[in-house]
Amino acid sequence: MSERIIEFRDALCEAMSEEMRADKKVFLLGEEVAQYNGAYKISKGMLDEFGPRRVIDTPISESGFSGMAIGAAMRGLRPIVEFMSWSFSLVAADPILNNAAKMLYMSGGQFGCPIVFRGNDGAGGQLGSTHSWCVEAMYANVPGLKIAIPYDAYDAKGLLKTAIRDDNPVFFLESERLLSITGHVPEEDYTVPFGQALIRRQGADCTIISFGRPLHFCQEAAIELAKEGIDCEIIDGRTIRPLDIETMVTSVKKTNACVVVDQSWPFASIGSEVASQIHRYCFDDLDNFVHRVHSDDVPTPYASNLEQAYLPNTRKICEAVRGATYNT
Amino acid sequence: MPIEITMPRLSDTMEEGTLLHWYKKVGDVISSGDVLADIETDKATMELQSFDDGIFSEIIVQEGEKVGVGKVIALLTEEDESPAPEVSEPEPAPIKQDHEQGMTISPIARRLADEYKIDVHNIQGSGPSGRVIKRDILQVVDTTKETSSAAATTQPDEIIQPLVSEPEVVATSHPIVPIAAWRENRSEPLSNMRQIIAKKLVESKQTIPHYQVTMSFDMDPLLEMRATLNKQLASSGVKLSLNDFLVRCCALAMAEHPAFNASFGGDCIYYHGPVNVGVAIAIPEERGGGLVVGTIRDADQKSLRAISQECARLSNKAKEKGLSMEEMSDSTFTISNLGMFGVEHFTAIINPPNSAILAVGAAIEKPVVRSGELVVGHELSATLSLDHRVIDGAMAARYLKTLKDLIENPAALLV
Repeated sequence: MSERIIEFRDALCEAMSEEMRADKKVFLLGEEVAQYNGAYKISKGMLDEFGPRRVIDTPISESGFSGMAIGAAMRGLRPIVEFMSWSFSLVAADPILNNAAKMLYMSGGQFGCPIVFRGNDGAGGQLGSTHSWCVEAMYANVPGLKIAIPYDAYDAKGLLKTAIRDDNPVFFLESERLLSITGHVPEEDYTVPFGQALIRRQGADCTIISFGRPLHFCQEAAIELAKEGIDCEIIDGRTIRPLDIETMVTSVKKTNACVVVDQSWPFASIGSEVASQIHRYCFDDLDNFVHRVHSDDVPTPYASNLEQAYLPNTRKICEAVRGATYNT
Repeated sequence: MPIEITMPRLSDTMEEGTLLHWYKKVGDVISSGDVLADIETDKATMELQSFDDGIFSEIIVQEGEKVGVGKVIALLTEEDESPAPEVSEPEPAPIKQDHEQGMTISPIARRLADEYKIDVHNIQGSGPSGRVIKRDILQVVDTTKETSSAAATTQPDEIIQPLVSEPEVVATSHPIVPIAAWRENRSEPLSNMRQIIAKKLVESKQTIPHYQVTMSFDMDPLLEMRATLNKQLASSGVKLSLNDFLVRCCALAMAEHPAFNASFGGDCIYYHGPVNVGVAIAIPEERGGGLVVGTIRDADQKSLRAISQECARLSNKAKEKGLSMEEMSDSTFTISNLGMFGVEHFTAIINPPNSAILAVGAAIEKPVVRSGELVVGHELSATLSLDHRVIDGAMAARYLKTLKDLIENPAALLV
């Protein structure tokens, strides 16, 4: 086993390149993915290796190129669509939700849609409210699609490879704030399966459940709380659909307390869904209602200090855990 | 005007009832629907519910008394009435009833209280609005443990009745050893090979009218010859297996009985020219399991030595890296041998487009009758599965007879 350390963005690039080498049907398209090597340099070198027929620069027309890719997927190709930001996917909501997610059902099984949509999700840092969308709550509501949110470079590669090999539309939510973090990524081929949550930290007093970037806040909070004698267990859900509620429930049965940390807004969110299921499956094991930490229920602020205060940050997580464990 | 509560008629045949237990004390606030008492009738014990709101003002029938239906057993006063003079004395504070007083307790705290048999009404909850939480219960458990263990050290002769009885699992001093490791239910996707096995064998068993014919063979002459040959040829690396002999026997018998070298063709029977014997080879679990059929081509034309070499080569290659399409195709008859596992007898499913498959058991040492004498000998049982569209029972019997002649007079195999 190698101890190779690489950046999150390079892990994504390796996942796409390896799958493109293995399967001629896989190709990448999106704004600036080819000649500019990706707006965030994720597709660096891919144009040189695979040429302009498989690494395609598109005009700024998400609805158009998403629709085109969906058509290609219906005919048997396996496109990877890069959204520079998931915020821009909103203009392609009709093709990605109405066509990709429903195609298998509406065609009576005649057409599948093996496609991956990927890009930055969530606040990138002073991008303003229209470019800081967390789309997971809104899109997870739609049946027929899968949603994966990687936490580190290892999962970024492993989950993206699973996404590309999946025969269903997969919404792959990256974070601009995580692209430069580094982590151990083996050179050998591996995948990370969907629907298998991972316990990132073992603890006895409170289960913290989260996905993607906020897990880093959870880790900081757990260190803070340990100083106060509160021992947190952190669960990385890894995929929202499918949701590994079993691992979460098993943990809550042990700790009797639960906090869900979700970067989307609180109303009708991933957090509310997870909380509801926890209440449903381990009601008798709870010492308190499931506490939730979200981005505040306002459009994302532009001002740096306000944006930090708005996010599901470490301070909010600590407060929620203290509340859930009656340590206020 | 006080409301009279009377002994109710709780069944058609009830004449009188016994008041078993009062749930309310004088002074309690009563809402309609509250359970007041347990009444024992001639048939069962039933709850007496209040139909009115009010304050429980007087108990007339005490616990254990038996009275007739319709007799007044207690009185309620309506809330705006002044209480009856006999209850004007200050009463001890009523025991907190959680469903009355809005007492709150977290689900896990309630469960732990049940497990440890703790009366939660005496606990002051430390959660918001006095909610009893897990910590409160565990504190009671800890305190009780300390008290009882302290008492135990000072008064060793006395039997200490602990205030808290621990759940059985905790009380056990021996660790609970699981009988077997817990195994999760799981499913694994089919390998390609298993998909093919599933498809081909279902097709075979469903479309081919199978039937079976079994015969036993005296193996002593063949085993003796095999031992001699293997001894003589050991220096040249020849090691003949029982299966090698059977391949040759089956092939020679097939040449003699062309229906055993044939396929059903829908509107014809297709007789094959070459006699190609397929040999079923099990793939080890670590290589994914399953089985393949390796083909010994023109087996009737090949010597035992050639058959043996080819069988060994196919078997090793199948287990190590897999066989090529050519090595697995064109068999016209198949042998499946489980003798090496000690199997006595089994039946096999025909490997299409073959018309027959021979399922071979082990050569087993057992009492046998030879020339009217009971002696110890080796017998082998083999079962043919046949496609009745091609081969009838009598044909199968004749084939087995030929096979028996070859096996029991093995010298013919050498020429």
